[in-house]
Amino acid sequence: MKLAWYLPILPILATAGAGLSCADIASPSRSQPYEWRRVVTTGPTTADTLSFHWPRSRLPVRIWTQDTLNLPQHVDYGIAQWKAAFLYREFDALQVADSNAADVIVSAGVALKGGFSVMRLPSRAPECEGGTEIDLPAGSRQIQAPIRVFLNPRFAPGEPGVDECLKLTATHELGHALGIFNHSPDAGDIMYSDPVVAVLSERDRDTAERAYHIVPNLTVSDR
Amino acid sequence: MRTMLALLSLMVAARVSVVQSQVDYYGRLGVTFSTKLLRDDLIQEIETRQNLAPTLALGVSLPIAPTYTAGLEGTITSAGYYSEEQDLKTDLGTLRTGSLILNLAGPIIPRLDWRAGAGVIHYWPADEQGIFLRGGPTRFLVGAGVDYRSSLLTSLDLMVSLRYDWHRFTTDELEARNFSGSQGVQRLSASVGLSRARP
Repeated sequence: MKLAWYLPILPILATAGAGLSCADIASPSRSQPYEWRRVVTTGPTTADTLSFHWPRSRLPVRIWTQDTLNLPQHVDYGIAQWKAAFLYREFDALQVADSNAADVIVSAGVALKGGFSVMRLPSRAPECEGGTEIDLPAGSRQIQAPIRVFLNPRFAPGEPGVDECLKLTATHELGHALGIFNHSPDAGDIMYSDPVVAVLSERDRDTAERAYHIVPNLTVSDR
Repeated sequence: MRTMLALLSLMVAARVSVVQSQVDYYGRLGVTFSTKLLRDDLIQEIETRQNLAPTLALGVSLPIAPTYTAGLEGTITSAGYYSEEQDLKTDLGTLRTGSLILNLAGPIIPRLDWRAGAGVIHYWPADEQGIFLRGGPTRFLVGAGVDYRSSLLTSLDLMVSLRYDWHRFTTDELEARNFSGSQGVQRLSASVGLSRARP
């Protein structure tokens, strides 16, 4: 038996040719993001839309967490949730031991700092509360690091539901710290104002992806 | 009965010896170029690609007809992969692949052989994240190529090979995120190595 040398290769090339003619992989619609940007009034009839995401040059974002109420574990959980939202390493974060080197500081307690320049983004889950303070001086386009996150149990830490509440609220507040400046109108999302779910929804993921693929108009200061 | 068993053992041993003398084995080192793994539309177009990958190929084959051999070739590649959005490149880590192809080979002209076959390819990302959050996929693969051999030593030949293969790529994570279909990925490799000298 002696075949022309090219005959056995023909089926392979035919298969490859057929495959090449097939359509490429198609992206999902990602049609469900909620408004994540902060609209601020700048005059009687004017408003400004503020958007932010951590630049790649600042990744991983350094987070210092107060070692109480299992907060470091809750923050680790939140970081993992948000990292998993992205396909192309748009966001990354790690916990650091020195608060002086942190981009984000997570503490137990209620948000204390007040004043015109602070953008407060509260959440109120049933058994605990949280808040994120983003220091944006009036007229400035540069957020002053660190961003401060506060987590506060409303009952004794051992009471049922408090630990779970701190976990989902930590994830919610980290969402604000990474650039989602608004709340979702849907209770199925972690970024709902009164969060009740502990995992990111498809809408949360789509919103975060979109936030990290538009050019933001806010920057963040060095630490 | 004992005599029969002894005779059978001798026949098997003799057959193994004949087969061993006909086995062709080789190893090569080279590089592999891959086309894009993924194209995504997220505000802008994003492509995910693998860098030019150092490649190790090992293979073995046996004659199945006067001029044809059937063989098994395994290939390992390891390289970085990245996403590119407009002019922004993001390093996504290290991606290894391993492929195993059952192939048929035969002569084109003296010293130059063709080879064609089918098998599987598996992706091993160093970190299970992003598009590989739910692990690396295993995909069906077809490929073809040519081998050039030149006598080097009495027992070894120099082997220069070109390979082309093709598969369709997707991952469990991409499917979970409602990416539809899969991406055709073509790979082209060039490698140099040693093979057992032909009689």
